[in-house]
Amino acid sequence: MGTLTIGCFPGLVGNMAYDFALKLAEAAVNKGHKVNIWFSGNATGSVKAHQKHLKDYSTGEKYLKALIEKGVEICTCEACTVARGIQKPEGIEGVQWNAMHWYLAKIYGSDRVLQIGGE
Amino acid sequence: MKLGVFVSDFKLAADTLDRLKADKLGIILVQNGIYHATTKENGKASSLLDKTSNVYALSEDIQIRGMGDSDVDKRVKVVTYSDLVDLIFNEYDKIAWL
Repeated sequence: MGTLTIGCFPGLVGNMAYDFALKLAEAAVNKGHKVNIWFSGNATGSVKAHQKHLKDYSTGEKYLKALIEKGVEICTCEACTVARGIQKPEGIEGVQWNAMHWYLAKIYGSDRVLQIGGE
Repeated sequence: MKLGVFVSDFKLAADTLDRLKADKLGIILVQNGIYHATTKENGKASSLLDKTSNVYALSEDIQIRGMGDSDVDKRVKVVTYSDLVDLIFNEYDKIAWL
């Protein structure tokens, strides 16, 4: 089994690339792989708890929590998150808050890395 | 190096792919990228399909757009998310996103 780290930079909940990142993570962890997800840029807007789940959204808070329960490590860029007006006490339980060094350390320890987006 | 490239848009990425050096190149069509596998312009399929014999398209993204396996070019292998995981870990050393 290997380790996959996904850097997810674009979009909020409902964004195609964001959904892809979470579904790929789920498929990988279901096959026994270790998965890390790093949210940066606008993707960090998804870690605020109690957002309304629109029926057309395929992912959301429940999806993130389910991934965390399966062992997926999810970390949000703290600087990007607070820049969008979200404070740590408002965040989804189990999501880690950290800086770029978290992502770099996970990349270093991974067998495969997929970075999606980023300006 | 065995390189798998995710193509997520219908805009032509051929020039970018030409600059990538790989012993084995895989193109994985996801999101709006799947239109490369399903759409012909003036009767011609996307030139991306000529880049390698290893072209894949994500089944879920094909179906979401109202199409099925029969709409996909015969050169393209239709895959699931589970198949993508196997491609990432077993077929390619590095993966990139366009």
